[in-house]
Amino acid sequence: MNENIEKRLAGIFILMLVILAGVAGLAVSTIRKSADKSDWVNLTHDIILGANSATALLHAGDASMHAYLLTGDRRDQENYRDAYRAMVNQLDATVGKTRSDPYRNDFLSLTNLIGRRINYARNLVQAREQGGEDAARQLAQTHPAGSSTGDIDRLTALINEHQQSLLRQRDHEAWVQARNTTRVIAICVLINFALLLLAGLLIRDDLASRRIAATAMSEANACLEAKVRERTAELLAANQSLVKENLERRWSWESLDHQFRYNQLIVNAISEMVFVVSKALNVTRVNPAVTHATQWESQDLVSQSLDRVLQVPAPATPNPILSALNEGRELQEYPAVVIAKSGAAIPVRFNLVPLRDENKVVGGVVTARPRLDAPPAGLPGSSKPASKP
Amino acid sequence: MKKHILAVDDEQAIRDLLQESLTLSGYRVSTAATLDEARKIARADRPDLVILDVQFEECDGFVLIDEFKKLCPDSPILLLTGIIFGDGAARQAIEKKVACYLDKTVPLSRILDEVRRLIGYSETPATGK
Repeated sequence: MNENIEKRLAGIFILMLVILAGVAGLAVSTIRKSADKSDWVNLTHDIILGANSATALLHAGDASMHAYLLTGDRRDQENYRDAYRAMVNQLDATVGKTRSDPYRNDFLSLTNLIGRRINYARNLVQAREQGGEDAARQLAQTHPAGSSTGDIDRLTALINEHQQSLLRQRDHEAWVQARNTTRVIAICVLINFALLLLAGLLIRDDLASRRIAATAMSEANACLEAKVRERTAELLAANQSLVKENLERRWSWESLDHQFRYNQLIVNAISEMVFVVSKALNVTRVNPAVTHATQWESQDLVSQSLDRVLQVPAPATPNPILSALNEGRELQEYPAVVIAKSGAAIPVRFNLVPLRDENKVVGGVVTARPRLDAPPAGLPGSSKPASKP
Repeated sequence: MKKHILAVDDEQAIRDLLQESLTLSGYRVSTAATLDEARKIARADRPDLVILDVQFEECDGFVLIDEFKKLCPDSPILLLTGIIFGDGAARQAIEKKVACYLDKTVPLSRILDEVRRLIGYSETPATGK
């Protein structure tokens, strides 16, 4: 993968992780706030219920207290005392829950009003016990109530109104928070989708570039393979050509060698003495018949003058063999003597055939055979020269 | 199916060269150093062409020409010898007995040309029979 694309993808995924972490943090914070809010709502409802309950207990206590004032029945006395006791406990518990309440003063005022009301009730009861029912009635008529139940009811209604407004305010804040959280999460999700889309596009581009590179590489490989095949075919053809040339050379050598050996066999099979001479009458080759007849070995005669072994009995000037070669003509049945290695002269008749190479005389072949009609000859010079045919 | 050529020559080097060269050209080549060996091969695996030398120790190739004409009447015979028969009438007399006569001194390529002329390329039907 392209290094640049790798860095971009890594950046995108890191950003997505950061966004996800932010969303998770926001969700946790929202959940925590919701839980806190739920506790506060419960507390607020508890406070409202506490205030209402205290007021209800106050009314219940008042009713029992007034019944006692009229009847003097101890059971009524017990009832109002129980009601007041329960109301005080309820009020204390409720006030204790309002330490962080912005309307705490309402509760303090309520406590004050209820305290005055209780003192008023205590005075009435005391007047009843000391002066009887009339004294209590007189006190009730002459002594204004420390706080009327109407004030307490109005304050309780105000407390309810204040607490309800707090609940409404908290509801609105919760709605705003939920809306904001929803918006933030939606924006984050959209951003993540956009980042995923961007990552997908980058990967798509990278895959496309990879496909293009793979295709280019495949084409390059195919081109290379074609060149290799072409070169291999050329080398194969060159190799075959070399093999054929080599075979041709070997064949040529073998066939020429065969031909040479065959010709050698033919020459060696001739029973007549054969002297091959150069144009200057130097011996270049003899056949085995010469060695057999004269005991001269081939190396004794080759490069030597023909006169050493073949002499025309009657010296003539110029030499008839030399003349014939120079003139390019043959000699037939010409008399001569062959000088053996022992010095013995062997009367012979010889033929001379000029050797021609491209119409030029380059030497000659002398074939000699003993004369059966001549007497054994002595040393050279002692024999009589033969007459020219 | 590769075409079968029987090369008969008493010289090992000549046999090897013929086998190598003809095999390279796509033919299936059998070689024989003696006439007996050549007869056995011809009976076991009929050749499409016989390349024959003339000089053998036990006999001469002319005898084998007549034998092969009876044994494989459809197989052409190429006479390849180092014995020079010369030009003219002598050569014509030899050529009447065989499908082709070549001196051993001719190039190998000439021998291959004659082989192809006589029996065609190895993978194609013979045209020279």
